[in-house]
Amino acid sequence: MEQTFIRILLSTGVDNYVATHDWVWPVCEIIHFFGMFMLIGSVGLVDLRILGVAKGIPIKSLERYVPLGVIGLALNLTTGLIFVGGNPVGGPQEYLHNLAFQIKMALILIAGLNVIAFYVFGIARAADATPAEGDAPMSAKFVAGLSLLLWFSVILFGRYIMYNDTLLNVLGL
Amino acid sequence: MIEAIQNSAYATWVRESPSFWAYTWILSLHAMGLAIVVGINSIVALRLLGFTPEIKINSLRKLLPWMYLGFTINAFSGLSLLAANAQNDLHNWMFFVKLSMIALAMVNLEFTKANVFNDPAVINNTGVPASAKKFALLSLLFWSLAICAGRLTEYPAFVQAWFGF
Repeated sequence: MEQTFIRILLSTGVDNYVATHDWVWPVCEIIHFFGMFMLIGSVGLVDLRILGVAKGIPIKSLERYVPLGVIGLALNLTTGLIFVGGNPVGGPQEYLHNLAFQIKMALILIAGLNVIAFYVFGIARAADATPAEGDAPMSAKFVAGLSLLLWFSVILFGRYIMYNDTLLNVLGL
Repeated sequence: MIEAIQNSAYATWVRESPSFWAYTWILSLHAMGLAIVVGINSIVALRLLGFTPEIKINSLRKLLPWMYLGFTINAFSGLSLLAANAQNDLHNWMFFVKLSMIALAMVNLEFTKANVFNDPAVINNTGVPASAKKFALLSLLFWSLAICAGRLTEYPAFVQAWFGF
């Protein structure tokens, strides 16, 4: 599966493009940070409000900014694929075998499942029904707290990708 | 003096300690603080620009302390990273562009508070000053440029090749 993924990724010629265009990596880094704050600003703010911060703002209104976070996530998946495919040192394998990267991807997956649970189990509907000054239900607070923890951990392990040796050392691996 | 700061026990610990809580953790805090400040600023700015009019602007005031929290996290993490890398950062002009943009963004925030959030019409939910949109656009501009310059601080060779210095 890993070989198939790498073959498809490299068939786009992304590795060659990154290697011959010095602006691609820094520009993608900038976009990756824009995607990050778009996601944290929208989804993270809904989470904060559900947890009881800034009562007076209707949860349902804040949720209208979530598409911005989805755009941010899409930007980051795209630039992320460019980083993995265009990695000048060690190629895609270097990322795929990097523990911090693996943890980051697993956390993004769990965060995605958390969002699905939020909508599928009717938690979102209950949270939306909360009055502007009101307290969200406990189930929504649990999902929101988990969401914040997951997304900030994604940032943490994202930064650790470049310092994977430190992580391995701390974990005794 | 710069050398003394970089060689101090704290700066050396930040830079070289194998501890989980040293360099990478502080670098992560810096990204988290950025996401908090700029993320919240974006939503506040979009509201001031006219999106989601059902949200009372006065209710956004409660988000300001969270922006200051993000800013404070980044002031401290930033100073730690600067101490660890003082000689490189202080010879990197893009680093000063970044600092200037952050200063402009924070001054703009104070103007936004004085002219928008402290406006009696905003407090009483009866109107919004026309200047609100201008402050919102400036905040988006300054923070965006701060991120661009901050990221480019890490690529001095690329900056040299494209900007000529």
